[in-house]
Amino acid sequence: MIKQLSIFIQNEVGSVASITAVLKKHNINLRAIATFDTPQFAILRMIVDQPEKAKTLLIESGFAVTMSDAIAVELEDKPGVLHDVLQLIADAGIGINYIYSIVFRQKNVPLIIINTDNLDKTKQILIEKGYSVPDQEDVYL
Amino acid sequence: MIWNESKECMSRDELHNLQSARLKKTVNHVYHNVEFYRKKMQQMGLEPGDINGIEDLHKLPFTTKDDLRDNYPFGLFAVPQSQVVRIHASSGTTGKATVVGYTRRDIEIWQECVTRVLAMAGIGPNDKIQVAYGYGLFTGGLGLHYGAENLGATVVPMSTGNTQRLITMMEDFEVTAIACTPSYLLHIIEVLEEAGKIDRVKLKAAICGAEPWTENMRKEIESKLGLNAYDIYGLSEILGPGVAADCDVHNGLHVYEDHFLPEIVNPDTLEPCKEGETGELVITTLTKEALPLLRYRTKDLTSISYDPCPCGRTMARISKFKGRSDDMLIIRGVNVFPSQVEAALLEMGETSPHYIMIVDRVNNLDVLEVQVEVEERFFSDEIKELEKLNKKISSVLQSTLGLSVKVTLVEPKTIARSEGKAKRVIDKRKLI
Repeated sequence: MIKQLSIFIQNEVGSVASITAVLKKHNINLRAIATFDTPQFAILRMIVDQPEKAKTLLIESGFAVTMSDAIAVELEDKPGVLHDVLQLIADAGIGINYIYSIVFRQKNVPLIIINTDNLDKTKQILIEKGYSVPDQEDVYL
Repeated sequence: MIWNESKECMSRDELHNLQSARLKKTVNHVYHNVEFYRKKMQQMGLEPGDINGIEDLHKLPFTTKDDLRDNYPFGLFAVPQSQVVRIHASSGTTGKATVVGYTRRDIEIWQECVTRVLAMAGIGPNDKIQVAYGYGLFTGGLGLHYGAENLGATVVPMSTGNTQRLITMMEDFEVTAIACTPSYLLHIIEVLEEAGKIDRVKLKAAICGAEPWTENMRKEIESKLGLNAYDIYGLSEILGPGVAADCDVHNGLHVYEDHFLPEIVNPDTLEPCKEGETGELVITTLTKEALPLLRYRTKDLTSISYDPCPCGRTMARISKFKGRSDDMLIIRGVNVFPSQVEAALLEMGETSPHYIMIVDRVNNLDVLEVQVEVEERFFSDEIKELEKLNKKISSVLQSTLGLSVKVTLVEPKTIARSEGKAKRVIDKRKLI
């Protein structure tokens, strides 16, 4: 499992930049970033090299932030591999909340972030099928 | 037409005597039947015998909306429940409703007052009137309804909420008068224009009230519909609609002083204002049986004139309202206090209590947006949870205020904090 930060932002010009400004100022490195928007507001999700520090700084800057777990899974860079993972999760009756991908390529393979209804079970299924599911420490190398 | 000439045109001397006699009776009534007033008067060392006429009015205690709330629901009623034939209620400042009651005689006086208003607007038995105020606990619908029936007019009890049906019936029934809020009437005008029916309307009078409106709104309504528009004032604590209304001269609203004794006071010092000076309207009921009130602070700002009116009526006139001495908003005719929003949010306990209310007028209809800060500890990672929260806040506010509300979640600490009294309201409505 890895730690991700979720930040509530209004759907307005400059909202995301106001968050990256905080990260830049304190030299925090982004590993993944994705926004999920509605007409009014959005949730910005990200994975950073120093999640606790980033969380504290962002809260001090006036943002609503939560830290939660997500699963990172290493995939081969070829067509259909993501489908196989998703089918596996679907067959287990687990719903996917969202997916995004990591910017930083570990060992030159794509790393996908998945959040589901049941993280523990998802992780277990993936490991059983031989997927590499790196933990926090592994991702931030 | 003057419905009750013997009262509406009585000499100021006669009126003075009538008011004095009725005030003495009212003071006796509340002293003996309402513990709240008896205690208040005793604390002030005042007995009913100390009030010999309206000159002594200033000796009496004031009554506020808080007093009504503190004595919720029936604590200020002066008659046994068996004599109360009707209850109305409006939303209170912090969730508890303001409850008012009427005896049969109170209802008769209410309909007499509304009948005077309608007659003053030239309406009679040959007219068909659509009452498009809300029917129910709100006094607007039933108040106008009874007054119009008493006059002998044909009442079409539309209530609110179905403008298409309203304009269809307006045309098919050849309706000649309408009673509704001025902003709703502007909306009806738009719908009529869109339907190409505005020229087929046979309306000759509109009775508008329950919210402030300007002379320009009156002119727009009158020119588009080719009718005369009259301003009606009232508040449920005192009666409902029919406390005052304007005549053809349109230079102030005649207060039915034989039933309601008006004063204008400085809202800060509570000292009386001079004639013509703006202050808070304070009303003492002179004939109410179920809920008589002494010196009720309406919080409405106006001025008063005792000059004779060219229409022949001798009753004093209050000017069009100049605002409120509290933070109450009137949105689509519904009274809304910011404290209601705050109390509802705190009670829900799922958001921060930092909010701002933005009132605007879109297509002549008032819209209320409430922006609420998402607080750290209530922020969920999931969009569906946030949307659920948004819906929950809207439905709680809607049931608290009796008004549909658009809720917008905003980032923490984005709503301006101010020292002292927080700014909770942005009213963008331009009363044309």
